[in-house]
Amino acid sequence: MSKQFTKGQKSQLSQLTAGTDLYVGIQLNAPGTSWDISCFGLDVNDKLSDDRYMVFYNQPKSPDGSVEQLGPQSGDTNSFRVNLGAVPASLGRFSFCAAIDGNGTAAQIQSGYLRIVAGGTEVARYSFTGADFGAERAVMIADLYKKDVWRFGAVGQGFAGGLADLIRNFGGQVEEDTAPPPAAPPGFAPPPGGPPPGQPAPGFAPPPGGPPPGQQAPGFAPPPGGPPPGQPAPGYGPPPGQPAPAYGGPPPGGPPPGAPPGAPPGQQPGYGVPPGPPPGAPPGQPGYPQQQPAAAGYGQQPGGYGPAGGYGEPYPSQHQPVQPGLMASVSKYREVTTPGQRWTKQNSKLVKVTLGPDALARRGSMVAYQGNVEFEYKGSGGLRAMLESRLTGQGLKLMTCKGQGEVFLAEDASDLHIVELTGQRLCINANNVLAFDATLQTEVKRIESPGLPGGGMFHLEVGGQGTIVVMTKGTPMTLMCQGPTFGDMNAVVAWTAGMRVSFNSQVRISRTVYAGASSETETMQFMGMQGHFVVVQPYEV
Amino acid sequence: MQGQMMQHYGQMQTPDRMSTHGSKMCKVNMMNGGDVMARAGSMVAYEGLIQFNPNPPQISGMMRSWATGEGVPLMIATGQGELYLADYGKEVIVMQLTNEALSVNGKNILAFDATLQWNIERVQGVSMLSGMGMFNVVLRGQGWVALTSKGTPILLDTREAETFVDTDALVGFTEGLRIKPKRTARLGGLIGRGTGEAFQLGFHGQGFVLVQPSEDQRPNLSIRG
Repeated sequence: MSKQFTKGQKSQLSQLTAGTDLYVGIQLNAPGTSWDISCFGLDVNDKLSDDRYMVFYNQPKSPDGSVEQLGPQSGDTNSFRVNLGAVPASLGRFSFCAAIDGNGTAAQIQSGYLRIVAGGTEVARYSFTGADFGAERAVMIADLYKKDVWRFGAVGQGFAGGLADLIRNFGGQVEEDTAPPPAAPPGFAPPPGGPPPGQPAPGFAPPPGGPPPGQQAPGFAPPPGGPPPGQPAPGYGPPPGQPAPAYGGPPPGGPPPGAPPGAPPGQQPGYGVPPGPPPGAPPGQPGYPQQQPAAAGYGQQPGGYGPAGGYGEPYPSQHQPVQPGLMASVSKYREVTTPGQRWTKQNSKLVKVTLGPDALARRGSMVAYQGNVEFEYKGSGGLRAMLESRLTGQGLKLMTCKGQGEVFLAEDASDLHIVELTGQRLCINANNVLAFDATLQTEVKRIESPGLPGGGMFHLEVGGQGTIVVMTKGTPMTLMCQGPTFGDMNAVVAWTAGMRVSFNSQVRISRTVYAGASSETETMQFMGMQGHFVVVQPYEV
Repeated sequence: MQGQMMQHYGQMQTPDRMSTHGSKMCKVNMMNGGDVMARAGSMVAYEGLIQFNPNPPQISGMMRSWATGEGVPLMIATGQGELYLADYGKEVIVMQLTNEALSVNGKNILAFDATLQWNIERVQGVSMLSGMGMFNVVLRGQGWVALTSKGTPILLDTREAETFVDTDALVGFTEGLRIKPKRTARLGGLIGRGTGEAFQLGFHGQGFVLVQPSEDQRPNLSIRG
């Protein structure tokens, strides 16, 4: 029987079928637009390291024949045969994508599906419509990926660029065309003087002077002419296609050209919620250290993978009827258990901490617990700090959770984000701290400014090894500090330590503009080198 | 006109008695003879001929419970048409009871079929500690119920371990659990603060507890009046 998938849903392939020789059919109903459907064979790092495994109209077959484009078949717009048994071990993911050729947007898709047929029977089907997308020009439909075993995941993620941008996103290279950006497909035409048509993947010719595609060393190889826009920095910085790296990945609009040497290591695992999913980030990335069941960590990404585990907001038009029975309605809210993990996100607004070592949490944030747990009053660091907190109201009122068991923490339905620190230092607005490991070094600090109530702004500087849970009202944004960066003091959630922070009073301007405004805004100015960032929430406390 | 507003948020034809429109609105298909008890003031829209009675005779006998401050101010809706309910943007959980029983915190009730057996019960033990008591609506029988939760709730299984829940975050629990209040903070911890981790309710037995990720202490003040 065919299993219906929804956006973001994943399943082990073995639960769908025992076969490994699969037929993948894709149908797109989008009158007035023309689509190129391709299959990207990515390596375990989700890079297109071997472009011979990109199977598309210009290259209908991978060299060993394990992936083959079959073309239109029995109702499907395009179809592929993937023989997972014959796939080389270096490949970890097949991403099925569709990109527009010519004008149009993904929203024009009237209907479409991706189905997997094994042994003549359809075993899985993921249906989508243009309503799932916006003005994107490409769509990552679904993935077959290997995490211990082969799995199938319905991605349904729009992608802003066209086919050429998709390839770049996956780490491949595309010959830049002189035509304006929308003309993505012409980028595939063999450049004058380039390899003649008929040679495999003519579009993959490197930029003039750049290294040939096969030789793109993982170490350091910037093409002399500078990387084309959108190309991931080949150097030290994590490319945007990898979900794990840094504190949320480079901001949309272009990756920084690599973190500077000496900056905090960019590979920090963990700031679970990048501001926008790196466009290439497929769910269920192997080796993603923050990997959680039901992709809880992805749930809050803007334009992310949608209803993960049923918590997303489906359109009313996608209404599902309620099944009879009490459990039918509430079973989707079941506790998420991950043995061996200390901090587990239960949904976007609730975390569970498994005690062993003590944890510190904001007072009153416990909603439930199981086991033998005690809560103890904890001052925020000495008498002096307490006095200051009384004065300013900025104090962090904490309690210690001791004992054995599981504690569920939440605060006023704020969005929670688990951050793992591995030696870096992070400054967090005292109002945005929910809980952290007692092993972390913390210090309440103050940035002085004469214009502020209490004479300064209080924040918590944390460092060391451990986990801290940051809470935000709404989906936060991570701004990389590549020039002077400004944030409203009331909306700034966190920033990396080591930046020069100063206050920039905008009092006069705001007074003039909003004559009736009673509260002036204090703007924080951050001056940092590359690799530093500021997190801002869409809510002013 | 074009846009998401028109394409995706329109009314849906649903055969069910209750359903959700999005995740924060509840739709009730009303018909004659099938009255609905709903939280007073939760109506956001309706179509058809529906009448609301804030003081139905079914409730008047329980007025004493309302007087204590806790509880659910309920109204009864009768008529025919479509009724839309919401409670300050809280998540709505619609369920269909099939001879099960559920005890729901008064603050988390949105609507239920008037044909269900329902009763207001004082949760054991709470009044001893907090001084004000906590009232739950116990629903039993066959019919539809809509609950609210501030934020996505979590379901905790009380079979595996005794589960302690902050009373402010408790949404509901199944019947038949052993309930025992527990006090965790030492006296020193109580100084200078209001409610918090001072005491919890412990649940144990065959069933589950539904907990919301917010300690709903503040009254819902209506800005529009």
